Order: sequence, then C-alpha cells, then structure tokens
Amino acid sequence: MAQHKVNYASSAGLPIVLTSADKLVNWGRSNSLWPLTYGLACCAIEMMASGASRYDFDRMGTIFRASPRQADVMILAGTLSKKHSEFARRLYDQMTEPKWVISMGSCANTGGMFNTYATVQGVDRIIPVDIYLPGCAPRPETLQYALMMLQKKIRRESANMNKNTKQNLRLV
Amino acid sequence: MQQPNKLTPFFENLNFERDDNTMVINFGPQHPSAHGQLRLVLELDGEQVVKAYPDIGYLHRGIEKMAENMTYNEFLPTTDRLDYIASTSNNYAYALAVEKLIGIEAPRRAQVIRTMLLELNRIISHLFFVATHALDVGAMSVFLYAFREREFAMDLMEDYCGARLTHSAVRIGGVPLDLPTGWLEAAATFCNKIDHEVVHTYGALLNENRIWKMRLEDVGVISAEDALSWGCTGPMLRGSGVNWDIRKEEPYELYPELDFDIPTSDRCDSYGRFMIYMEEMKQSTRIIRQLIPMYKKTEPQLMAHAPQYISAPKEEIMTQNYALMQHFVLVTQGMRPPKGEVYVPTESPKGELGFYIKSEGEPYAYRLKCRAPSFFHTGLLQELLVGTYIADVVTIIGTTNIVFGEVDR
Amino acid sequence: MRKYVPKDNVQGKSYYTDRFWVAPRVPRTEVEAEGHFAQVLTTLAKLAKEAYVELGQMVIHIDASQNFEVMKTLKEACGYTQCSEQSAVDYLAKDGEFELFYQLLNITEAKRVRVICRIKQNEAIESIEPLYKSANFAEREIFDMFGIKVNNHPFLKRILMPDDWEGHPLLKTYPMIGDEFASWYEVDKIFGKEYRDVIGPENRDQARIERYDTKRFSRVGYEVPFDADISAGETKTDIEYSETVLVDYTKNSGKQLDERR
Repeated sequence: MAQHKVNYASSAGLPIVLTSADKLVNWGRSNSLWPLTYGLACCAIEMMASGASRYDFDRMGTIFRASPRQADVMILAGTLSKKHSEFARRLYDQMTEPKWVISMGSCANTGGMFNTYATVQGVDRIIPVDIYLPGCAPRPETLQYALMMLQKKIRRESANMNKNTKQNLRLV
Repeated sequence: MQQPNKLTPFFENLNFERDDNTMVINFGPQHPSAHGQLRLVLELDGEQVVKAYPDIGYLHRGIEKMAENMTYNEFLPTTDRLDYIASTSNNYAYALAVEKLIGIEAPRRAQVIRTMLLELNRIISHLFFVATHALDVGAMSVFLYAFREREFAMDLMEDYCGARLTHSAVRIGGVPLDLPTGWLEAAATFCNKIDHEVVHTYGALLNENRIWKMRLEDVGVISAEDALSWGCTGPMLRGSGVNWDIRKEEPYELYPELDFDIPTSDRCDSYGRFMIYMEEMKQSTRIIRQLIPMYKKTEPQLMAHAPQYISAPKEEIMTQNYALMQHFVLVTQGMRPPKGEVYVPTESPKGELGFYIKSEGEPYAYRLKCRAPSFFHTGLLQELLVGTYIADVVTIIGTTNIVFGEVDR
Repeated sequence: MRKYVPKDNVQGKSYYTDRFWVAPRVPRTEVEAEGHFAQVLTTLAKLAKEAYVELGQMVIHIDASQNFEVMKTLKEACGYTQCSEQSAVDYLAKDGEFELFYQLLNITEAKRVRVICRIKQNEAIESIEPLYKSANFAEREIFDMFGIKVNNHPFLKRILMPDDWEGHPLLKTYPMIGDEFASWYEVDKIFGKEYRDVIGPENRDQARIERYDTKRFSRVGYEVPFDADISAGETKTDIEYSETVLVDYTKNSGKQLDERR
C-alpha cells in the first residue's frame, strides 16, 4: 500500500490512496485466507491447536470454513489414503478460483513414514500444491509461518489468475 | 485454470427420488464434526434416522502391515500415529506387549515416569474430548478454554520428550530419558490448575447448563448388555453401569500401588459418559500427585538390564566393548523375542487398547494386531444412531470419542 | 543371475541369522486342575482339542467347524460376555492354512481366553455375529485383509479398503508397498489410465533427493525463477550404494592371510 505522510484529517484534504489494482486485489486475497477444514490425521490436531486459544489463527484473518465453496486455501493436514484421494480431488474441484493448497506434514508431502500400499505418496500426485510444510507433525507455529509465506506468494502474483498459469503450476 | 479429470459431478449427498419417501444423506468422509474421516450414510425418514451405515477406512495406512516389515524397536514410533491424541498410551501398550513377550520388567523409576505420562496423556485426551464434544454440540467457548489447558499439558510433554503430538516417550524396556529439572513442580502446578478448571470452568459452563443437558441427556442410550456385546470398553462401558477398568481389574505398571476411584454411571447416555470423562480427569491428577513423592524414592536406572534384547545405556556403549557389540547387533538385526503369542490389554483414554503379537522368533513380528477401542465404538454407531434425530447424530459421534488413526490403522 | 526371492512370503526378513540359532519359546503351562480355567475346560468338554496357559491367558485350540458352538458355550455357560478381538494369521506359506483367533473376556472373573482354530485356504468360517455384535466389524476386517469368507454374516463387504480394490493386503504374498494395481489406484480413478505417463510412477525410494528441482521447491536464502535450471552444468548422477567386499578367508590364496602367516 502506498504510504502517506500528510495527515488529511487535520489539513482537511481528500483522503486519497494510490495503488495498483493488482495490489489492492492481492491485499484482499492474502489477508482473508479462509482455509477449508481438511483435517485428515495427526496434523489435523495441530491445525485445530493453531486455530485455538494459544496460537489464535483469527488474528491473521484466517477463519476455518467447513464448505469448499467458501474456502480459498485447502490445508491438507495428514495422511491421504488411496481410498480418500478421490474425495480430496473432488473437494479441490469444488473450491472456487483463486485457490491455493498447503500440504501439511510429511505424510501429505511425500507419504512420509507410511511407505505402504494404502497411502498416496505425496498429495501433489493428485492436487497442485503451493506450500509444502515439513514435520511430523508440524507445530502450529510452522503452519502459521506457512500461511504467511502463502500470503507473500499471493501478493507477488497477478490479480488476473489466467496470467499465473506457470506460476501456480497446475500440474494436471 | 481448472484441468479436467475423470471425476464427474454427482449428487450422492441427497437422494429424493425414492419410493418409500426416505432420504439418503451422505455424511463425510470430510466433515468438521466427524472427528476425522468418518463417512456415514444415513437413511432418514423425516428427521429420524432409519438406517445408519458407517463407512470407514479413509485413513487406512497399513500400520499392521508395517509391523510385519519392521523390527520391534523400529515400529515403536509408528504406534504414535494410532491414537494421535494420546500417543504415549499407544507406545506404552506396544512396549508392554513386547516386554511381556520377552519377559522383562522396566525399572522402578521408568515405571513411575511411564505412569505419570500415561495419566498426563489421559488428561490431554479427555480435555480434547470435552473441547470437541462441546464444539460439536455448539458450545464454542469450552473449546477455547479446554485447548488453553491442553497446551499446558502439551508443554509438559514437550519438556519431557521434545514433541507435542507424536511423543515416542516410552521404549521397550523402560523410558529413554529422565525427567528434566523442575518438571515435577510444573506437573504439580498443572494438576492444581486442572482440578480448578474442571470444576470451575468446564464444570461451571457445562454440568448444569440447560442446553447442554437437553442435548445430551437420554441421547445415545446403550444398555450394559449391548455395550459388552458390541465390544465397548473404557468410558463407553462404564457409562452403561459396568464397573470395568483394566487399571483396577488386571493391574499393570504401578496402578496396584496407587489409590484412585473408577467413576461409573448407570445413566447409559451421553451425559453420563461426559460426567465420567470429567471425573476421570480429576482422578488422573490425583494419581500424578501420588506419583511425585514416589519418583523421589527411586533409583536412577531407566532401562531394564537384558543384554539379549535391550541396548545398554549410552555411557556403557561408549566405554565398554561388549555393550557396543550388543548394541550393534540389536540395531542392525533387531531383537529376537522368543516364539509365542501375547495379547496385552491396557486402559487407554478411549478404552481397551491391546496389542496381539505373534512372534516366530524372528526380528520381525509375524503378525501384529492392534485392538483399537475406537474401531468397535465405530461399529456400534450403526445400531446407536437408528431411531435418533439427525440433530443428535453429531452428539452421538462425539460421545463415542473415536479417533480415526486408531479405527482404520 | 537374479537373486532368488521366495514369492510366498515377501515380508521383512532378517538379513543374517546365526546357523545355530534356535528360537526359544514362551513358556506354556498346563491348565491347573482347580480354578476358573479348569471349569471352562470341563464345560467345553470335547470341543476343546488342546488347551494350555500362555502368559496368564488360556489358549484353547478348537475345530474350525465348531467355532459357533464353542463361542456359544463360552458366552452362555462360562460368562465370556465380550469378544475383545478377532483376527487371522496367515500361515499359507508354511501350512497352507489360516489361523483365526478369538480373544474373549470374562468381566466377572477378570479372565481372558484365546480361542484358536485353523482353516484351509478356500474354506469359510461361521460368523459369530449373532453372539457378539462386535464381530460385525471384526469379521468384515478379516474378509478385507485376508479374503476369508464368513458364512451368515449380515453384511460382508470390504471395510478398510475401497470396494474396487484388488488383493487382500495382510496376506504374506502381498508386498508392503503394494502391487501394480495399488500403485496406480488414485491416478486411474481420478484422471484415468492415460494420465499415468503425465504423473509418473510413485517415488518409493526414501533416500531420493532432488537437489535441482525448482518446480516444486523454493530455495531458502536466494530465490530462483520457477522451473529454472540451477544445476550449473552438473550432470545427473544416480545414487551409488557401496558394495560390501567379501573376502573368502577359507582359500589359502588370500593376500592378507598370507601376510599374517
């Protein structure tokens, strides 16, 4: 945002803020990221903890939504099993553009310690991921840091999402 | 831009075109009050549930298969991810099963620490239950208060083992670390805090709350006979008037020496179970308080002495040749328990958590079966939900206190 | 020549076992003449083929065709009101059989009994669901994990794996990382078989490091453009594992041995 040293209120001038459309839109997008409550396993507990008293996600404008239609960012917290993968993609499809994905925890990133028949070896096989969050389980601070990194990323993007195809990497 | 895929939009959630005038509702597998990845297909007649079909397996990770491909010590951190709200109780149940198989006992100080951690985990889990159950039913503030105290308990766990959620704080044959300085005092302060909060915050907000009572009383009624038949354990069984707690009836660890009560309720409904959870938290603090003076009287040994199965302490490994050789063999090949099978039940916060281990004398378990309480509590849903109103469905799911890491394994 | 790998058991195996290693056995004791367990045995009479006490719990071997009868007796005459757990163990490689066990609990006596029976590969077992409702889920899990059919079960369907899954995961012949079907399951289901090439095979190598991947990973400390080549001309090298050099000390020509002599 443009910064002004003139105090318009006292000098009775017009309150004018100069900025570009991109910045204005991205300011709005990045400061009210509403994640989808997509708790899958252990990381979901840490996700809840980061929304609860001590870590308090609300101060970042982050309010968990239960419906994909109202959400901007999907935090995939936990192990994605093969049985569930179809539903993960379905929910991702139901989210409205623009949308971002945070893959939380080792299991979501790469399958983690579950190198078994039933686990998807990294959610990026089915959903394009913006931020990978290491840890098993990542602490709430890590999730908050990831969200701030995502805000940074959004501010860098163009407001016109069609221009961002390469940046966003829609893999499949 | 959205890339196309094979998944076509479908409307399985609602199915109106049925001749018998019932409606089929799909609940989950991703629902905020499903406590994880429970999918319920409910058949409704008006607002009443006619048929409920719980569909599980959305968090199946093949943990039992992993046990067959890992040595006994390698597998221990995996048990954290079973009931991830109270990890230490899983570590402990597994370690106890292996210890029974190889016939060793942890030294006294390790037992004191283990029992303390188990009870601390019980408090963490019960706080989580109260928080989420209240949230499901609609009491948002209790969630925030309970999570506030839960964070203090997590701090204690973190001070001990370094992890908030996945502790791995118990090893086969003992515990890896001694308590850090000041931990006991912090635990005592925490106990006072919990005792106060249970009565004056959660108790004051919920116990006699008119809405809370209306939502919970006579909801999810299950008779003692049914509870036994469905394999219910823990608070689910005690809530139906059966006085059965493995800590008292088949005592393990230090429980025979400790003085505590088993709260039961013959109300058979959700409210009775809720009161049991609240009372159990107080009993857990009572146990921790008794353990604090016991700790001070123990010898500093932390791991059992059994060179065939358990590595010597680090100091000996670094200084003594034979200890180093044993350690090398145990790390590269793994311990080989004797042939045989064992089933060890323990009282986890959710109920009876047991590990069945079939050993063929190899360093890999031939078969490991985790008897998870939540698995059977989920099975119960198909009977418990029938006849209730749809508004009570989340209350009943909440009261069973299921955790999906454990249900699907 | 390729190394021979037995196909009937692909689970973890010890890479080295001493030639003279004989695994000990957990002590089994006879059932005492007096007491609760003896009473159970007399009630069961001929139904029990073999019984002993192992680590404080009585183990009863029975005939698989009589499992319902045995359970009924145990529940109604001996007070075993809860079936804590039931599952199977795969002994197909060794004996061509499955071992099924039922873990029962008597809460008035605080005693536990394990009932064990064996069935052949394609045999079915009778459901005990009418007696213990907990068997409803447990038997479905047995069917899902081992493919053991259960007669008279109200709703025998896969429980943990999806309905269209192939194979039964806890069989010893099923590898831990899954088979061909398992590895492409989610791709086939969501995108279709033709996308297999686009997405590529699963990475099951837990030691793989992608140093120059700028598509998925950003660099800490300095930023690089998306999909930029930052390898600076370094060619891709496969991971090489060191090989253990084995010296055959039994031959007399060993140079080291000669020197020592």
